[in-house]
Amino acid sequence: MNTTLLVVLAIVLAPIIGGLLSGIDRKITARVQGRFGPPILQPFYDVFKLLGKERFFTNKVQIVYVITYLFFAMLSFVLFVLGQDLIAIIFVLTVGGGAVVMGALSVRSPYSQIGGQREILQMLAYDPLLLIAVVGMYVVTGSFKVSEIAAWQMTNATPLLYVLPLVFIVLVEVLTIKMRKSPFDISACHHGHQEIVRGVHTEFSGPYLALIEIAHWYELMLVLGFVGLFFASNLYIAAALIVAMFILEIIIDNTTARLTWRWMLKSAWGYGLILSVINILALQFIK
Amino acid sequence: MGLINTSRAKSPWVVHFDCGSCNGCDIEVLACLTPLYDVERFGILNIGNPKHADVLLVTGTVNPRNERVLRNVYEQMPEPKVVVAIGACACTGGIFSECYNVVQGADKVIPVDVYVPGCAARPEAIIDGVVLGLQKFQEKVAKMNSKAV
Amino acid sequence: MLNSLLMLDNSMLLFVLVALPFIAGFLCLALRNHSARAVVVVLTSVVLMIASVGLLLKGSFQYTMPEQWNEILTYLDFALLAYILFQAFYSRKFHAVYAYTTVILALISIAMVYYFDFFMAHGAKVDPTFWADQLSVIMVMIISIVGSLICIFGIPYMKDHEHHLHLSVTRQPRFFMYLVLFLGAMNGIVLANNLVWLLFFWEITTLCSFMLIGHDKTEIATVNGLRAICLNMLGGVGFTAGVMLLFNNTHSLSLIDIISGKIQHPLMILPLALMVFAGMTKAAQLPFQSWLLGAMVAPTPVSALLHSSTMVKAGVYLIVRLAPAYADTWLSVTVAVAGAITFVVTSALAVGQSNGKKVLAYSTIANLGLIVVCAGLNTPLAYAGAVILIIFHAVSKALLFLCVGTIEHGIGSRDIEDMHGLVDRMPLTAVISVIGMITMFLPPFGMLIGKWTAMEAAAMQPLLLFLLILGSAITIVFWLRWAGILLSTSSRPAPRVTEPLSILTKTPLVALAAAAIVLNVVVIQLYNKMIAPVATAYYTKAMAVFSANAAAPYGSLLTNLGASNFGSFTLYPLFGTIFVIILISVYAVRKADATHVVTAPYMCGEIGDNQEEQPRFRAIGDGWVEYKHSNYYMNNVFGEEVLTTGSNILAIVAILAMFYVSYLGLMR
Repeated sequence: MNTTLLVVLAIVLAPIIGGLLSGIDRKITARVQGRFGPPILQPFYDVFKLLGKERFFTNKVQIVYVITYLFFAMLSFVLFVLGQDLIAIIFVLTVGGGAVVMGALSVRSPYSQIGGQREILQMLAYDPLLLIAVVGMYVVTGSFKVSEIAAWQMTNATPLLYVLPLVFIVLVEVLTIKMRKSPFDISACHHGHQEIVRGVHTEFSGPYLALIEIAHWYELMLVLGFVGLFFASNLYIAAALIVAMFILEIIIDNTTARLTWRWMLKSAWGYGLILSVINILALQFIK
Repeated sequence: MGLINTSRAKSPWVVHFDCGSCNGCDIEVLACLTPLYDVERFGILNIGNPKHADVLLVTGTVNPRNERVLRNVYEQMPEPKVVVAIGACACTGGIFSECYNVVQGADKVIPVDVYVPGCAARPEAIIDGVVLGLQKFQEKVAKMNSKAV
Repeated sequence: MLNSLLMLDNSMLLFVLVALPFIAGFLCLALRNHSARAVVVVLTSVVLMIASVGLLLKGSFQYTMPEQWNEILTYLDFALLAYILFQAFYSRKFHAVYAYTTVILALISIAMVYYFDFFMAHGAKVDPTFWADQLSVIMVMIISIVGSLICIFGIPYMKDHEHHLHLSVTRQPRFFMYLVLFLGAMNGIVLANNLVWLLFFWEITTLCSFMLIGHDKTEIATVNGLRAICLNMLGGVGFTAGVMLLFNNTHSLSLIDIISGKIQHPLMILPLALMVFAGMTKAAQLPFQSWLLGAMVAPTPVSALLHSSTMVKAGVYLIVRLAPAYADTWLSVTVAVAGAITFVVTSALAVGQSNGKKVLAYSTIANLGLIVVCAGLNTPLAYAGAVILIIFHAVSKALLFLCVGTIEHGIGSRDIEDMHGLVDRMPLTAVISVIGMITMFLPPFGMLIGKWTAMEAAAMQPLLLFLLILGSAITIVFWLRWAGILLSTSSRPAPRVTEPLSILTKTPLVALAAAAIVLNVVVIQLYNKMIAPVATAYYTKAMAVFSANAAAPYGSLLTNLGASNFGSFTLYPLFGTIFVIILISVYAVRKADATHVVTAPYMCGEIGDNQEEQPRFRAIGDGWVEYKHSNYYMNNVFGEEVLTTGSNILAIVAILAMFYVSYLGLMR
């Protein structure tokens, strides 16, 4: 019964919190740029408006892809809340991302096609980094399960942040890519900015764009939860860590310009991998 | 339905189509986005894709070469949608209206809901135009619903 | 029916599985009539499938051949090697280096076999000759079912193929002889316990692959065939040397003895290394990948057979089969490293390819590399992962090869860029291809479960795990974009197309696609009934440690090894979610016709009012201009010329290291 309640809470609360965070994001961004900014609830207005728009599609398969994305984003977050295997969660996340890519590639529009290709590259950049962060967690805690990783930190009173600092730094890049922030917003930007029209989202419109936005909120919650997992020994500090990370991402977003995919791959597979590997190997030697 | 209607008024995304303007009005449209006017306060975003947009801003003189594109952009916007013609040229053809190659106003091609005069139109006027357009939204939605029933 | 299957006795079953394909093969050679040959092939396939199910019901068995057969086998061995020698010499004008190397290797083999059979091991008794455990049963099922479906697919395919080539005299009898005979040889490999018998069947598959790759008799086909036989003979010599050394050191030729831990001879390690080396050549691991890439010039059924259920699977079968024998040695570590190098590099190479068959070839090598990694990790969990990968890879990859073959006959190209919007032209094939691709890399499908198992098994070796993670991330790139463009469609409602596919083409495709999905639903049962027993049977030491310490560092799956659920991997929620998605999608898509508006893609205000499929832009004077877009192949990063040389050197170093640590007999 408890599990059911947890699942329902996760499904209901995640988009609400995710949406609010997006609203705060837009507000802070506006303030950073010297503007007043939209209301905090703006993302919800956007989504509800989109839900009420006329339904357009260029082909029917798009509908299936959007539904797949939404449900798999939901599932990955629910699995996280239930304390399941992190590798499995990342694989589930991949399905959602893959569905969006296939939806973009299913339309013969140059913008959507290029967006899809770039989204694949983004997945190529962040997927190994996330998995290697999980490896780091395994090396420390001896488990792939979220619940056991958290329990280990509580019993040993050692937050993962202390033992995996470099991996955590790499996570900043993962978040930048996953949250569609500059400098890595190359397949589509989370803000209203234009890049190859609207990149991977160009051909989704109306209610389907709204569903994609909601799915994005679930994903946002998942990656932030991942950040929080680095300080699971104290939930308040974990929350503070999440907030700090979120604000850091907004600052990065506002102080950098978009880079090309080559830069993204180079930094992810170069610095990202090297830092993670150094951290994990160091752990092995210290042991 | 009420929630969606409220949201509609609070989140107008605009797509801007320049039919061959002198760029005077375009500069003013972009000025609306700057910190001084900051239309994002009202949830207005300048979106580059008609499929995502609610409001079409037309500037410049429509001519036979671009009226097809104007119509297509309009048709690729999902309902409910409004069109705001900005500046003298988009409203009537302006000083070029007698030219052999100019269509006398965007409304000869697509239904225009709001006319924002000026050469160039001032940002305040443009914002007023979009807000007026939002009122037209409600009428359109009501009409859409009665048609659906 | 079932009862009568159970009544079959061992010799009968063996005869059907191993000898019948040979008989049917020679019958194919004799029959000049196309339909008669088709009947023979279909009948053999059906009988093989039934027999494999019979074996499944029967479970494990042992059977010893009458004594005189060992004598006969020796002479058959000579005949076979001599025939290989002759064939290689006969085609020397195509590529002298490969041909003469093969000749020399064949001569060496003959000398070795002669010395071994007549002087070293004359009259050595091996009991039993044939045996089967769950792994053998699984392999026989794969070979007999997937392989047979490929043979059936070959019937209409080859007719079409020869039609394209404008041949005056059909060469199909010979083709089908080797194709069907191949299955028998493969069944022989996986059922043999006597290593000499195993070696004999091993060399038969080498010969078959040469004849099948070179079937078209064009220059390139013959050269590639020669390359295949050259590299595989190299492995064969390694195998023979391994068997000789093993007999010399341990006086045993029985596979059961080797893997069940009956012989604890440290000198067993070097012979094992030689056999693993043979497995690597056959499984086309780096640096031997060139023969498998060359094999794509062959007609599609051949590439499907070589890549999915046979040949390469023989290689990994040997490596996985022997794995428990070299557990806890440094040989095991080097095997894992060599496999991991192959996995990462060939995955990356696949990204750079636009030739569909080449992508499949590289992906095959990559997945075999992953299986080799599992063998090298050498824990019960890794072993289970290897078996899962073998099963699901066979089904999905066979399906994909057959699909590419069908597509090639349909559109006249195997280039991925030509497959944009295939779903409008060949709806059934395109959808089935996408099913094949999705089952290759997305959860909850078997390949991914195998990959996940491998990752958890590698958890204690972070460096190895990094390689696995990189490889599996790269894999996503080429599958996703290929699947994506196959399903790209025009916004205009396409006219309903029915593909003119023969029933013999359609049946294997649909059957394999169904298998690729259904197998995933029963994966847990499959795991508990078939895989877990075999994975735990040969690791007595590891299992003892495990049961002594339940929280042993073997990854979370092992905690549930043999238990009723699939470890911590939450499969059922995934299946549930997919079910919900399907329900909602069907509803939404049905409703869409009435409530949705169809629009053309956004083309900056142009709506292609032309009747072409591809939307276009307009240029000066309102003229239409085509745009071109293609996948990112990133050849300056993932190109063959960038990666091949360096990675080959790396792989050679790994293999030399493998021999060195085996020579020293290092234990961990």
